[in-house]
Amino acid sequence: MIRDKIKKEMAALSPVAMLETEHAAKGYDLDVRVSPDQVVAAAEIMDRAGFFIEAVTGVDWLLEAKAAPPKPKAPSEAGEQPEGGGAAEEAAPTAPEMEVVYDFNIASELCRVVVRTRIPRDNPELPTIQQVYPGANWHERETHDFFGIKFVGHPNLTPFLLPEDADFHPLLKG
Amino acid sequence: MVDYFKELIGGTISLATGLWITFKYMWQPVITLQYPRQSVKMTRRHRSHIELARDSETGEVKCIVCGMCQRACPSNCITVIGEKSEGAKKKVLTKYILNYNTCSLCGMCVENCKPEAITFSDEYNMAGYRKEDFIMDLKKRFDEKNPKSAAATHNVAGGLKEDITRTSSN
Amino acid sequence: MRQLIESQSDETFILNLGPQHPSTHGVLRVKLQLDGEYIVEAEPVLGYCHRMHEKMGENRTFAQFMPNCGRMDYLSALAYNHGYVCAVEKAAGIEVPERAEWLRVITVELNRISSHLLWFGAYLLDLGGFTPLLYAFDDRERLLDILDTVTGSRLTYCYFRFGGVYNDIDENFVPAVREFVARMRTRLPMYHKLVTKNIILMKRLEGIGPVSAEMVRKYGATGPVARGSGVSYDVRKNEPYSVYPEVDFDVPVYSEGDSMARYKVRMDEIEQSLRIIEQGLNRLPEGPVMAPKAPKILKPPKGDFYQAVEAARGSFGVRLVSDGTNTPYRLKLRSPSYSNLSLFGEAAQGMLIADAIALLGSLDLVIPEIDR
Repeated sequence: MIRDKIKKEMAALSPVAMLETEHAAKGYDLDVRVSPDQVVAAAEIMDRAGFFIEAVTGVDWLLEAKAAPPKPKAPSEAGEQPEGGGAAEEAAPTAPEMEVVYDFNIASELCRVVVRTRIPRDNPELPTIQQVYPGANWHERETHDFFGIKFVGHPNLTPFLLPEDADFHPLLKG
Repeated sequence: MVDYFKELIGGTISLATGLWITFKYMWQPVITLQYPRQSVKMTRRHRSHIELARDSETGEVKCIVCGMCQRACPSNCITVIGEKSEGAKKKVLTKYILNYNTCSLCGMCVENCKPEAITFSDEYNMAGYRKEDFIMDLKKRFDEKNPKSAAATHNVAGGLKEDITRTSSN
Repeated sequence: MRQLIESQSDETFILNLGPQHPSTHGVLRVKLQLDGEYIVEAEPVLGYCHRMHEKMGENRTFAQFMPNCGRMDYLSALAYNHGYVCAVEKAAGIEVPERAEWLRVITVELNRISSHLLWFGAYLLDLGGFTPLLYAFDDRERLLDILDTVTGSRLTYCYFRFGGVYNDIDENFVPAVREFVARMRTRLPMYHKLVTKNIILMKRLEGIGPVSAEMVRKYGATGPVARGSGVSYDVRKNEPYSVYPEVDFDVPVYSEGDSMARYKVRMDEIEQSLRIIEQGLNRLPEGPVMAPKAPKILKPPKGDFYQAVEAARGSFGVRLVSDGTNTPYRLKLRSPSYSNLSLFGEAAQGMLIADAIALLGSLDLVIPEIDR
């Protein structure tokens, strides 16, 4: 099972949280939450295992932070059974955050892995993974367009889908 | 050298086969229509713009001015206006404005209509020079089609496109 | 424009392919840096048809977003419908009656054939052959008539609903589809005789625009592009959804990786879709087409859900983040052509312009789907 292999390698990174999810219910098999500086290492693990990159996207959690500021539990994990990790979640996310989601998939068997990371909303910066997956280049550029997330090391973060003089980020909440 | 001639002959045969197929088509019946003079009959379920349905008993519109269509519409292109006259129990439809410019023909309004007061027309020959042409009052349109019902006195911005007579063909 | 002037060097010159170039099928612009007739660098420029469907999704209810699905990939609108309803049904836990599932599969496969037929005609038009387009459109027209009788529209279908389909088929549907399948079986050999074995086509496509399996993986290309490079990945097989596990069909895979391989994959897929449709018609059960308990106002529980389906161009994914209200909190739409096009820049390096057109066409792009 490739999922166990990935799980073992990811555990070596000591991610923030790691959940095995049921494919039929959620649509993916493994949900790994890493810290922003670990995304490149996580992408390299996926690359070595032969996964392809499906998408990179963001989620703006401003409204969730507004709705329940002192809640320690991350909203994306709400409603899921806590299985592994989760110790770092004790630190309550008081400042609004943004989430960057990387979808990986493999052609040879059924195993879809979601790698996510959280970055502060007022300084959204994290390293690019486009040297590992050249296909991430466009996805990261799109995410920068829509959310204003800065991918450090990305060669070209000019507006892509938006007009070339766009100075707004349409998917930001509020 | 042998390959060269093989390819030459094989290639010529492949081209001749293709030409033979197109040649055979010359003798087959024409499948196209001369569009502006002939036109296609739309299928029964074809969704064109919406129209008010007629109640076969009263001859009036079935609409009860509940506004469900207006709320269901993803592009906010429907405005239902009704008024309640003195002593009457129910609201009566006065205007049913469809902004066909923004309508995406999804049919959410028809699906959400409890009294089944809206149907689809099968008109597809719609074109105009001004976008005001496509802001239609369906109530007015209904009254014109069913002259027996209440006289159409009210007037709204924009006119209605004339019905284009469609010649059906098979 | 600024970038254009900056990147200009003395040795090369810049050519804009598009946004209105006929072979880009819409509003794609490719900035080509040329050395003579050879491409030094190719950079697609997107966004000419960008409508921000993802934001629209956040502003309307789940049901109101349905018509948008058909506006993204207008050639395989039903597959997009399918992806979206499956994602929402997964989130809300709605069971779909079996008849509706089969109807979905049959109509999606019909739609896939019509998409491939249009691609077939338009691609050969790019390459300079005019007649195949007319043959393909003849067949496609019959298909559109069939789909019109079921769904009510000819192109931007909006037929599926959460918990089933919009309405049941009429009595003419099954015979009409059977007739179409029988007809298509006679037409496919004709297409192969007319086009596939044509020496001119073979010379233009064989060995042109090679895409390696490694490149497919690095760029996340899916669909016929991946299968033409020897990657056997089809969401219907790898991640079965709906009633696909019960259907017997093959996934055509060619390992050459050139434009011809992608052409052959699509032509074989038409045959496989016919097989799926036939089985669907034989097994179509009686019963309701709408789940009786499907709620009118949908409020899926909190959480995030992913659903991938096989659209005509590859894996279409919907990531739905729900916050428990009747509108999605975040709706990510992963469109296959976006990833498929992203490898063009690397694959087109060093190619002749005319060959790059053959490569671009073989990716089967639908620009509104890339721009969303």
